[in-house]
Amino acid sequence: MRHDRSPDGDLPPVAGPHLHVLSVVSMGLLAIFLAAVLALVVADVGYTDWETVVGLFRSREVMAAIRLTAVTSTLTLMLVVVFSVPAGYALSRYRFPGHTLADTVVDLPIVLPPVVIGVSLLVFFTTAPGRWIEGMGFRPHSVAAIVLCQFFVAASYAIRSAKAAFDSVDRNLEHVALTLGCTRAQAFRMVSLPIARGGLIAGAIMAWARAVGVFGPLMVFVGSIRMKTEVLPTTVYLELTIGRIEVALAVALVMLAMAFIALAFIHWLSSGRRWWGL
Amino acid sequence: MIQVSHLSLRAGDFHVREVNLEIAPQEYFVLLGPTGSGKTLLLKCLCGLVRALSGTVRINGQDVTHLEPRRRRIGYVPQDCGLFPHMDVARNIAFPLRARGSSQRDALRQIMPFAEALRVRGLLDRSPVGLSGGERQKVAVARALAGRPDLLLLDEPVSALDEPSRKEACAELRRVQRQFGIATIHVCHSTEEAFTVSDRAGVLCGGRLVQAGTMEKLVRRPRNETVARLLHAENIFSGRAAPSDDGATLVSFAGGEIRVPGSHQGDLKLTARPEALRVLPDGANAPNTVRALLTRVDYRGSHWHLEFDAQARIVVHLRPDMVGGGLAAGRHYAVQFPLDAVHVLEG
Repeated sequence: MRHDRSPDGDLPPVAGPHLHVLSVVSMGLLAIFLAAVLALVVADVGYTDWETVVGLFRSREVMAAIRLTAVTSTLTLMLVVVFSVPAGYALSRYRFPGHTLADTVVDLPIVLPPVVIGVSLLVFFTTAPGRWIEGMGFRPHSVAAIVLCQFFVAASYAIRSAKAAFDSVDRNLEHVALTLGCTRAQAFRMVSLPIARGGLIAGAIMAWARAVGVFGPLMVFVGSIRMKTEVLPTTVYLELTIGRIEVALAVALVMLAMAFIALAFIHWLSSGRRWWGL
Repeated sequence: MIQVSHLSLRAGDFHVREVNLEIAPQEYFVLLGPTGSGKTLLLKCLCGLVRALSGTVRINGQDVTHLEPRRRRIGYVPQDCGLFPHMDVARNIAFPLRARGSSQRDALRQIMPFAEALRVRGLLDRSPVGLSGGERQKVAVARALAGRPDLLLLDEPVSALDEPSRKEACAELRRVQRQFGIATIHVCHSTEEAFTVSDRAGVLCGGRLVQAGTMEKLVRRPRNETVARLLHAENIFSGRAAPSDDGATLVSFAGGEIRVPGSHQGDLKLTARPEALRVLPDGANAPNTVRALLTRVDYRGSHWHLEFDAQARIVVHLRPDMVGGGLAAGRHYAVQFPLDAVHVLEG
């Protein structure tokens, strides 16, 4: 604990003791939480070994899962960006009948148990519109189905993040751009989009990380077919069911490393690109 | 020529009503008004950021009332300058040229006359984030001018500056406005600013343009008490009028009676310019005087500030060379109100 922080940077320390009830309690609880998370990671690392982790990359099944995870999460990311930037902008800038309802519905997939999304997709494809989409060539046990599950779980995070990013852009700047000769689309492209860029990238990375971790909806809607619909979370589950806990943990560690890198990048973007926040 | 006719607009419950205004080419017009009088709203309506309810805005004969902001050729500098934080100063100034399709290279070349006129050439590669208030304001004006507008709107352009910098910044604005010969509307609530820069000024109160004219006219002949107070009139008196034989009016106030020009009736308010009043010895046989007790004598650099008590507070400003050794607080004097120093306010 160095001293108080302000959004604009460090403030000089206030006179009096550095340690007081508030700082001790809040820092203490933060330390307990960090210790608990680290204890889980350490337990994972302790249970597996380096050989098993390296061995993953020689397994045909695991490599296929890694490839499928990379392909589907990248496709999902592209789809999420296409939807979330305009949708986040609309929620931030326009007031329309049902705005609050729309805002709430966007958040629904965040609070729903992911497995419910899978069940809902399953049921939807028994309805007339669902059957029509199937008639157009959509298949449940396919890359497209995996992407659909990942999209429903991940898109809300990106839309929410895009809305927050556009909220933080002073609307007057867009207005000034209009008086300086811009169309509304130009003002968006030349002013709002670049200023909101950090928040948009952070939202996209968060959505990608969520997409990589999707499991529940896949189990219900897509299934867990080795070498066909197997992504990394499915691998963890399949390895567990056949009792290879150390392999499951090794896959989990790979995912953990990916998630850590993604989150560190988000924090780097949001903290003014300073690695240690000091 | 900018012609605003019967312009009305609304923001929430607040209305700006029936504004009529003409601004000549190359004229510097200052729009004065207290906080919340609708000045910023009116500016935003002129540049198309707030839709008009009724009325028209014409620029050089063209009706722009319902045109998009970008088609109006109006440069707008908001109070916070509205600089784009993700662009350096050069790209900020080049923005209107880029928006209209110039290449980056051409745009950066074309901004030089504006950067030089506003004396911001040395800042071109700086980020707007680290600039001082004065520098931000200059960059914002340069950017607005780079779009080659027919009308420049400045919303409290020097309000973020300290007192000495304000005067300098106002003088700079006036110089640049003359150099580019552009009609300008400058919104503020400081009469000092208005005196420094304006050809003419208007007073907006409660969403209505109450009076417009030169600052001298506004100060000498404020239409009503609101305008008089906004222009820091020191002497505003309540009186009662009685008809006089010679076409003038006798007004009793402050324990005395004076003649004022014109025909008036009943209760009224009047104002008198402190620098136009005279102080005579007590009992002097002179017309239009009120006997008053001198309560305060302050030297204010450019003038003596005298305060008298005669059932009302009367302020007199005298040039330093007009005060001999005789004036002393605690004595009675005759304060004379020359006819041209007194002005009756509309109710």
